Amino acid sequence: MAISIPRKLISVDEYERMIEEGVLTKYDRVELIRGEIREKMPINPPHAGCVIELTSIFYDLLGKTVVVSVQSPVRLPNGSMPEPDVALLKRQGEAYHRRRPTVEDIILLIEVADSTLKSDREEKMPLYAEVGVPDYWIANLVDGVIEVYSNPVGGTYQRVHIARRGESVVLPGGLPGAVSVDEVLGS
Amino acid sequence: MAVTLTRKLWTVDEYEEMIEKGILDEDDRVELIRGEIVKMAAIGPRHATCIRRLEKLFYGLLDEAGIVSGQNPIRLPNDSEPEPDVALLRQRVGDYVQTHPTVEDVYLVVEVAVSTLATDRSEKIPMYAEAGIVEAWIVSLEEDVIEVYSNPDNGEYKTMRVAQRGETIALPASLPGVVSVDEVLG
Repeated sequence: MAISIPRKLISVDEYERMIEEGVLTKYDRVELIRGEIREKMPINPPHAGCVIELTSIFYDLLGKTVVVSVQSPVRLPNGSMPEPDVALLKRQGEAYHRRRPTVEDIILLIEVADSTLKSDREEKMPLYAEVGVPDYWIANLVDGVIEVYSNPVGGTYQRVHIARRGESVVLPGGLPGAVSVDEVLGS
Repeated sequence: MAVTLTRKLWTVDEYEEMIEKGILDEDDRVELIRGEIVKMAAIGPRHATCIRRLEKLFYGLLDEAGIVSGQNPIRLPNDSEPEPDVALLRQRVGDYVQTHPTVEDVYLVVEVAVSTLATDRSEKIPMYAEAGIVEAWIVSLEEDVIEVYSNPDNGEYKTMRVAQRGETIALPASLPGVVSVDEVLG
């Protein structure tokens, strides 16, 4: 229910403290988006299946040359700490044991969308483009496509490509190989 | 079916834990309203003066019959912990040292509205009614009246009276005395 009194925005540091102090627990499935703590949707099998496929494809193609991070927080400079479904991150030794991944570490973010398609496009996409996440995919289970966004300029992705079943998507950031849309989305 | 991300709502316990642990501190002028942490409007001189007038009037009338509490939290059952401008509380053993007052402890809440009349009516009054606060006043400095809400039933105040200059308002819950609208508005 909407409230007309202005909400206090929570900073990333305050959010981290809530986690540290146990005010937010592992039972809170939440993300921080522009200072607001948002509930995450529960994950159903088609969604989970797609994440599994992506993870195994990336391991096959890339091995240990990158880090594949699943539903883990990344810290962004626009007051946000989302937990993208799959993130390809640069290898940084043991750094991720000590600190959160930030924009500079990100090669690609992927959100798997079934019921979240609207927010993955209207909230997540600008969020990521704004801070310069170089490549963003939406594995769109509703329409059976992978939406491929790249080249963030002025808060929007300048290049959009819709990859359909039967097609492949080349990996970004000069990484070798391509990902089959059919394999990712399942039948 | 497409959905947008819903905000996490807090319970009063989680909110108090954040205060206890210093995650929210004195620089955060906030209240908890139906699970949302919201900003309180800064208090200008007109607002502050009216609060002081109310406190002085209430002290004069109540003596030992109740406690006058200015801008302090009260704990409500609908995930809310507002800080009404003035609240009249019953005397309680232990004097609210351990826990904030709850609905049963509150005779009256008063909100002073300078620029916040619309949200006081649309957000605060329903919140108080829902929680079962027996009586709530809005002192509207813009409209120069005091709105008196009482008889909470099913989430709404069934009785509302607009008290004008020249009139008086009896204190609720058979507390002694009446308050003159002119004295409050100044």
